[in-house]
Formats: sequence, structure tokens, C-alpha cells
Amino acid sequence: MTAQMKLGAFLWATGHHIAAWRHPKAHVKAGIDIDHYMALARTAEAAKFDMIFCEDAAGLREANVDIASQTSRSIGFEPISLLSALAVQTSRIGLVSTASTSYNEPYGLARTFLSLDHLSGGRAGWNLVTSASQIEAANFGAAGLKPHADRYERAREFAEAVTGLWRGKAGHDGQSFSVRDPLDLPRSPQGAPVMVQAGASDVGRDLAARTADVVFTAAQTFEEAKAFYDDLKGRMAAYGREPDDIKIMPGVAPVVAETEAEAREKFEELQELIPDDVGVALLSSYLSISDLWRHPLDGPLPDLPESEGMKSRQALVVEQSRRDGLSIRQLARHFAGARGHWRIVGTAVQVADELQARFEGGAADGFNVMPSYFPGELDAFATLVVPELQRRGLFRKAYEGATLRAHLGLRRPS
Amino acid sequence: MTDGATTHLAASLNIALATGQALTFSDLAGFAREAEAAGLDMIILDDSAPHGAAPSSPFEATTLIAALATVTEKIGLVASASTIAHQPYNLARRFASLDMISHGRAGWNATLAQTPREAANFSRPDGFSADDFRRRSEEYIGIVQGLWQGWDADALLFDRDGGRFHDPQGMHLLDHKGEFFSVRGPLNVARSPQDAPVLVLSDLTEGDLDFAARTADVVLLDERAAAEDKACHGDLKRRVSACGREPDAVKILADISLTADGVSGLADRLEEKSFSKSCDGFNIRLPAQLSVFDDLIDRVLPELRRCGLLRENHPGTTLRSHLGLAGGGDQ
Repeated sequence: MTAQMKLGAFLWATGHHIAAWRHPKAHVKAGIDIDHYMALARTAEAAKFDMIFCEDAAGLREANVDIASQTSRSIGFEPISLLSALAVQTSRIGLVSTASTSYNEPYGLARTFLSLDHLSGGRAGWNLVTSASQIEAANFGAAGLKPHADRYERAREFAEAVTGLWRGKAGHDGQSFSVRDPLDLPRSPQGAPVMVQAGASDVGRDLAARTADVVFTAAQTFEEAKAFYDDLKGRMAAYGREPDDIKIMPGVAPVVAETEAEAREKFEELQELIPDDVGVALLSSYLSISDLWRHPLDGPLPDLPESEGMKSRQALVVEQSRRDGLSIRQLARHFAGARGHWRIVGTAVQVADELQARFEGGAADGFNVMPSYFPGELDAFATLVVPELQRRGLFRKAYEGATLRAHLGLRRPS
Repeated sequence: MTDGATTHLAASLNIALATGQALTFSDLAGFAREAEAAGLDMIILDDSAPHGAAPSSPFEATTLIAALATVTEKIGLVASASTIAHQPYNLARRFASLDMISHGRAGWNATLAQTPREAANFSRPDGFSADDFRRRSEEYIGIVQGLWQGWDADALLFDRDGGRFHDPQGMHLLDHKGEFFSVRGPLNVARSPQDAPVLVLSDLTEGDLDFAARTADVVLLDERAAAEDKACHGDLKRRVSACGREPDAVKILADISLTADGVSGLADRLEEKSFSKSCDGFNIRLPAQLSVFDDLIDRVLPELRRCGLLRENHPGTTLRSHLGLAGGGDQ
């Protein structure tokens, strides 16, 4: 049998495209409608996705209230309660939620995810993040955001405490945490919930190599994806682990339709919906300048003072604007629409070709699929791309196992 | 809202106290549906095992009520959650989300007593002094209620053509800076369908009564002798009025513990208390043997119904409307 790829359905309110909520085929009330999520979960399960994946932040995504009010990302469900509701309305699909090591305690988090694991019969996973936003930090004390290294040291200890608790151990006494008792819940039906991570920094990769079962990453090109894949798998031996003990699943944002022209049209339609304020604000933050909005939007990018923090990224943007003759508005839409993830616009065959190339080229074990808007674009992926992957023998036609670990081909921890 | 002569009825269950076989999700779903069919206002679920007991329940209470919300339609779902185990922002958010999932049927049961040993699992080996714990709990609960008010009911515009998802003026920072916590807000969950999740306070001492009068929607009080019960009820209602709230804005439920021995004489006890107006209703504390609950439904509730103490159906769709509380969302 050909090796098969793993697929996650990354759910995010109205959609991953920043202007998704304005699209007539997106469900604009997604963030307050539990039935919307029930329907998405059933679609993903019927298509045999390995898991649903929920991003999270304990706070607003955007500090500027005016900009925030032009996106749909300021309100939504809290993912652990959301997935607990979905757990008893689905029977096979994995349920992965993000939660922060900076604003939780290991005992409480381990207990909550274990409960989700029991509710779902062994289908839960935790995506560990350290939370890099000042907005979140302000909801948890006056001290502000802790430095990167401190956050990762806390995360390392946190992960160690949680995995210990999931394996029935009692007690943890460390630098950041102390836990006296073992968990008062029985052992997980899949041995332990699945550990997912996304950190791309050097310490982030080491933490993943040591503890993660699944790694979610952003990679634009094949070369980037391959380099990350080889680097991370290469780090695992140091921790006594086999390369296959981690599934690396880069994010992919497909826009798929029956014909390539239709797919392009669909994408352009979304790009047109990006409010200028939102696009320019995002572009400004990319360029590390604050007064971009003073310049005519249909004119070229002005000459920029050299920025301190992000020289290479600024240079990249400037170069692209000069090369393609893009106006500020066009450039703003381009960046707001892509946001660092790999986008494929095309037919099911084209999308499947690209996924297959990265999978078989040793740059990915699977993909976390980020539909532009919901429910339409998840439906499109499920009805067009999944059958194409199945025809090629690259994706399952039926679930083989009952737990998330079984779907992912992961060992049951002792 | 007709609250009139009827009495409010809740049932509470600590799932961690099951002896022998743990209660499965299907047991608990059956219990919730039965309570719903019997017209109870709400069920209150607690998950704290006594120290040293072998693990008995596989579930944590907030995740459990999220799941139960999908298999019930009317009944209120209240989970106990500790102020030690969660940060206030996270807890406010969890319950706001539960309220959205249940279409306005969620409540938080906050205990004002420190659970022995719990803090030792949350990096606080020595716990808090009684005085610190009280001030911390009061600050904590104030933050949670404040976060629940962060979005105006009409803040979401969904204006696709105009490009405005929400009204920037309809979103409010909390900007809380206190002795124990600093929380900027706002919550990233929309306004509750019932205005705010219901706040239930339990394990109160004398010193908590003024705080409860200011903040609670429901107060659970231990059952005492009838005369003492009535005095306590009057005292708390006076304190509620003194805070400028309607006396009826806080419902006082007498905690009645049921043992596995059964329900004989219970109907008479409840009738007497109801007619003497010594409480607004009852919270029946169930043992983990759910067969006792069947006895309650089959033998006690029909009796209460005959005396007109129990309404037949849920009058509205939210927990606030069941309890006759303002801001019911569906009046």
C-alpha cells in the first residue's frame, strides 16, 4: 500500500481569509452559531479527515479597535468547550485544541484535555503554544509579555508536567510549577492525548523534537518545507525518538474549483473584499512603518526609511512592489490575503499534484487544510480534492482505527 | 414573568463520588434528559473527588456540560469550577462559550470555600489564608461578571457591505487592576444569549452574605431548622435590597441532601418549607446512585405538582427565564 497523508481541518470562525466574513457564501454568524460548527465537523468526518484543529488566543487579535471591528476575529467560541460539544456529536474524527502554557497551569490543562479525551473516546489533542501577543498578556497580569526564552523554558516544564500527569505520575516540583497529586481521572483511552506544536524557532523545534506527536508549520515553498522537515526529524534521535514518531503537517490554504479560471475568480473575489484599512494596517505592520495610509492607495509604495527589526522582510515587499508595479492597495491585498501560508489556487487535480509533490518529496507527512471561508471552501475541498487524493491512494477511504493516535499512526505511550 | 407560587427546583450531583462503576456519558445524558422532562430549572455538576480516592469519573465538569448541552434543549446546566484551577479570564471565557453552545442555559457554581489541598496542585503548596482567599474570590468573581458585560447586546453588526463586523463602541475594556489580578479585557466571546451566564454561589459563611447579595443570581444555603431557615432567608433578602437590587433578583435555594436511603417524607418537608416561604426553592443534592433520582421523580415531584408548587413546563428557553431572573434574553 502507498503511504497515506494525514489531513487536518483547521476551523476558524468565518474562514482563514481575512475578509471571509464579507463573502456571501461564508456564514457570517459562525462565531455565535454552534450548529455551524456541528455541520463543519460532520463534513470533515464524512471526508475522513484525521482531525479538526482549532487555533486560539486568550484575547483580541488586533489592538486597533477600528481595524478589529472590520474583521470577524474578535469573537468566537472558546475551543475546549466547543470541541467537548462536538465530541459527543461525532464518532471518529480527532479533536485538537490550542491552549497556552503561559496562562494555564499543567494540572488544570491536563485534566481538561483528558476529560475531552474521555468524552470523545480517545480522540483529543492539545496544540501547545506559548502565546506571543501583548494583548493576551494584558488579560493575565500587569507584568506584560515575558521574553521568548522564558516562555519556552516554562513551556518545556509545562509539557513535561502534563505528559507525566497523563501517564499517571504523581507530583511535579520545578522552577515554574508544583503539582502534588496524580490526576483524579482515569487513564486516556488512547494512552495519552496527542501533543501538537507549532514553534518554528530553534528552541521551539527542540521542544517539538522532544515532546510533540504532530507539528504544524507554515512553509511557502517546497525548499522551505523540506528544510524544516529534515531539520526537525534530525533533532529527534537526540531524544531517543524515531523520525516517524512525529507527523509534520504544514498549513495549506487552497482555493479550489472545477476549473482553474473559476478558482482564480473565487480568489480575486475574496481579495476584493479586504477593507483597505485592514490591508494597509497589515502591510504597515509588515513594513514596520505607521503612516502608510497618508499616501495615495492607488499610487506606488513611497521610499521607506530603513527599518531596524525586519530588514529582510521589508526588502522583500519593496522588491515585489517595484518588480510587479503594484500599488499600495494591491500590495496590501496581496499580503493580507496570504499571511505567510502556502496558497494553492486551482483545480482538484492541481491541488492534489502540489500536495502529492510535497508529501512524496519528503517535505510533509500531511497537511493542515485552511479553507478560505466556511462552510463553502471546506465543502469544496471535501468534495473535490479528497476524492482525487483517494483515487491516487494517497488518502484513506475509511477510518481504520477509533482514536486520534490510530488515525495518525502514532504509538500508544506506555 | 409568573414566578408566583411555584418553587424553583435544581438537582446537584458530584460525579466524582460514584462508587463502583463510574457514571458514563450516556448515564449522565439520561439523567439530564430526565431532569429536563421533569421540569427542573437546572442541574449542577461537580467533579471534585475527595482526596486519596481512586479516580472514579472520567469527566471534568465544564467539558461535560458542553457535551450535555448538545443532548438537551431546555434545562439549565451549571458546572462547579474553582477559582484556584482557572485564571479569571479563562473561566469567564469558558462559561461565556458554554452559554453560547447551550443557547443561554449555562451557569457557574462558584464555591466560596477553599478546597483542601487543591492549591497544592496549582503551584500554591500552602494555599491561601482564609482572609486572602475571601478577598481573592470576591475580586475574581467581580472580574468574571465584568468580562461577561464586555460586549453590548447589539454590538455585532454583521454588515458585510459596509465592511463593519461589529460596532467599535459596543465593545468595552474591563481595565481591572486589583490586589490579586490585572485583567484588561474584553472577552473574545460575544454577549450571552441570556445577558450573562447565571452565577450560583455556594459554601457561604456569614461574612460572605453582603458579597452574595451584591453579585449572586442564585445562592445555595444549607438546610436548617424551618424557623432558622426563614430568618436567614429574610436576612439575605434585606441585604439584597440594601444593595439597590430587587429582592427577587437573587434566588435562595435550600440545599437538601438525599441519601441512598431514599425519599420518604421528602415531599412533606419541601411542602412545609415552600409554604412557610423560607426559601425560593430547593437544590436536591443527589448521591451518585442515580436510582434515588428516579425515586425523586416518581414519588416526590408528582406530590409537589399536586400542591401547585411545581410548574409543568419550562416557561422560556434560557436558564434566567426558568429562574425568573431579569435579563432572560427571550422575554
